[in-house]
Amino acid sequence: MAATAGGNKIRNAKLVLLGDVGAGKSSLVLRFVKGQFVEFQESTIGAAFFSQTLAVNDETVKFEIWDTAGQERYHSLAPMYYRGAAAAIVVYDITNAASFTRAKKWVQELQAQGNPNTIMALAGNKADLLEARQVPAEEAKAYAQENGLFFMETSAKTAINVNDVFYEIAKKLLQGQQVQNPQGGMVLNQRPPERTVSSSSCCA
Amino acid sequence: MADEPAAAAGDSHDYPTIDPTSFDVVLCGTGLPESVLAAACAAAGKTVLHVDPSPFYGSLYSSIPLPSLQSFLSPNPSPSSSIAAGAAPSYSQTVVDLHRRGVYSEVETSGTVPEPARRFTVDLVGPRVLYCADEAVDLLLRSGGSHHVEFKSVDGGSLLYWEGGLYPVPDSKGAIFRDTTLKLLEKNALYKFFNLVKAHIDATSAPANEMVEGDAAAMISKEHLDRPFVEFLTQQGLSPKMRAVVLYAIAMADYDQDGPDPSDKLITTREGIQTIALYSASIGRFANAEGAFIYPMYGHGELPQAFCRCAAVKGALYVLRMPVAALLLDEEKKHFVGARLASGQDILCKQLIIDPSYKIPTLDAPFDDSGSKFPRKVARGICIFSKSVKQGSSNVLVVFPPKSLEEEQVAAVRLLQLSSNLAVCPPGTFMAYLSTPCTDASAGKQSIRKAIDALFSPQDSDGLEGHLETTSESTDHVKPTLIWSCVYVQEITQETSGPLQSCPMPDENLDYRNILESTKKLFAGIYPDEEFLPKKSAPVYADDDSDSAE
Repeated sequence: MAATAGGNKIRNAKLVLLGDVGAGKSSLVLRFVKGQFVEFQESTIGAAFFSQTLAVNDETVKFEIWDTAGQERYHSLAPMYYRGAAAAIVVYDITNAASFTRAKKWVQELQAQGNPNTIMALAGNKADLLEARQVPAEEAKAYAQENGLFFMETSAKTAINVNDVFYEIAKKLLQGQQVQNPQGGMVLNQRPPERTVSSSSCCA
Repeated sequence: MADEPAAAAGDSHDYPTIDPTSFDVVLCGTGLPESVLAAACAAAGKTVLHVDPSPFYGSLYSSIPLPSLQSFLSPNPSPSSSIAAGAAPSYSQTVVDLHRRGVYSEVETSGTVPEPARRFTVDLVGPRVLYCADEAVDLLLRSGGSHHVEFKSVDGGSLLYWEGGLYPVPDSKGAIFRDTTLKLLEKNALYKFFNLVKAHIDATSAPANEMVEGDAAAMISKEHLDRPFVEFLTQQGLSPKMRAVVLYAIAMADYDQDGPDPSDKLITTREGIQTIALYSASIGRFANAEGAFIYPMYGHGELPQAFCRCAAVKGALYVLRMPVAALLLDEEKKHFVGARLASGQDILCKQLIIDPSYKIPTLDAPFDDSGSKFPRKVARGICIFSKSVKQGSSNVLVVFPPKSLEEEQVAAVRLLQLSSNLAVCPPGTFMAYLSTPCTDASAGKQSIRKAIDALFSPQDSDGLEGHLETTSESTDHVKPTLIWSCVYVQEITQETSGPLQSCPMPDENLDYRNILESTKKLFAGIYPDEEFLPKKSAPVYADDDSDSAE
């Protein structure tokens, strides 16, 4: 899946977000993709994907970022969501212990549904709200280490560590070769309506 | 995924409480029609709650891991819901219990399930494909769902089973030219026929003001169009084998078109040409699809998931593992105004749409089991084997015309072979789906078994290997050995009347055209003023600067 553009390798990578409602998944993406933060982000954001490219040395990773579209609310994500994910960010809210417990469940789910090569990050979001902290950083860090995730505390509000999480994922993606679905099929796309009648067509 | 086919005893569940409690539309079941409707309703700005009793998406349209197949086809009778009677309705409403029907019967499996069994994904709608130019593809493109599913071409094309052998289906001039099994006379007649049909299609698709002189002459007369297609083909001088190719492998006719009992099962020239036009428009539509047909990687169960995601992106709320126990009727007992979930929670809605595996309670007689008057049926088969039925092809369609397997075979049998490149089975193995429409279950199953016997040798008969009569160029081709198979019958019940909307079941066809047509009608029925999944109803990317097509 490596394309060459001006001598620069571009790697396409599907990245999925997981975590409780309100942990700040969408905020994290919006901060990364658009550099924005909205205090009261609506639950659904009305887009299936975000895409963002990131340069690491002389290589480029083009992230296709999938948000849960609210299907996580009643634990109803489809297998399709995990399929072919090169990377996943499991997000919890450091001011909400329950969201950390749920994050561990998402990690389990990912280990069961995703492929073993998926790069996993654990992001303790809302790191700007230190006074309300319920999840000690050490605890999350220890959990991440035990489970082969890399860990960062982030704040979509102040932008702390947000780009870093994605940059770290991009670096890891480029280190490990392969990852992409080896037998990818074709994605349907709208072509211009004019179509010369193919000579191989049934009646041509 | 499909570990629990139906809702188990209600009390043990820890059902969530849904918030909010009132919606424009509540859909129960995540089959393809319900999922498309959910996407369409959400795109039209309606508030949507979409629930499914199962822990997975797709209902009767799902793809499930092989180990779960048995429990899906033969579910334990679900305990009648006690919840409905439990709580008193919160409003002045009547509560009507909802019951599920048995859809599958006569399930018979043989052979040992190969390991790792979980790596085999089984379609419940097989054999099925999409034409590159059909409505399913257009809906995927319009809704943005196309971005979630990858496809592969049925690259091996189609084969016709004829007089004990397999022959390539000459579906283009090039294919006719290259075909070494056809007689010169057959080639000429077929060539002439394709030219005639092409001229007709071109003439009818040209805008009226651009009609060149001679176009009208190129058109097949209306009189012919309304006559049986088989008559027309005979007039064109096509041999019986060429007629079978066109009727059953290109126009996809189901029932015997030469039979003594023509009745209403004959397709007209108009219908035949319509399918040929679609077939022809499908070839070359997508750069990577060699033939007319494509198949979704990971199985057909991806399609409902794609539409559900589109709906979710547009704000629809999703709850799996949530059965609907009962329906709520208004005071006059005329309209359904909501659903009582298995959790006991009442959800109010303006429109209620349910999966066809639920019986629609008729208002006069709440549940009438005998009501099924001669339902349509389809016999289906699933096979696992380790060698392609056609050397060098991974995905291929095989058509057995009526009477080609035995005199009693009244309808065509279609078989779709899929390989591991579709990620539905491990490398080195193949899967095949078969189906034939039937009114009598045992006759349908008999046809499926005959077709399986014609292509595969049974596992125990090593030593004495069956040979398939060979087509000219290939050398002796030893029949693949069958590892595992399952044959069953599915009912196709259609509920049309009543104040409650029920979606179509998977039908006997190779494609989704009729199912989506009914789905579209359902939508038009409830929202006559809304456009059905308008183009651009879902921007794929939120950011403007990205390319949405690659």
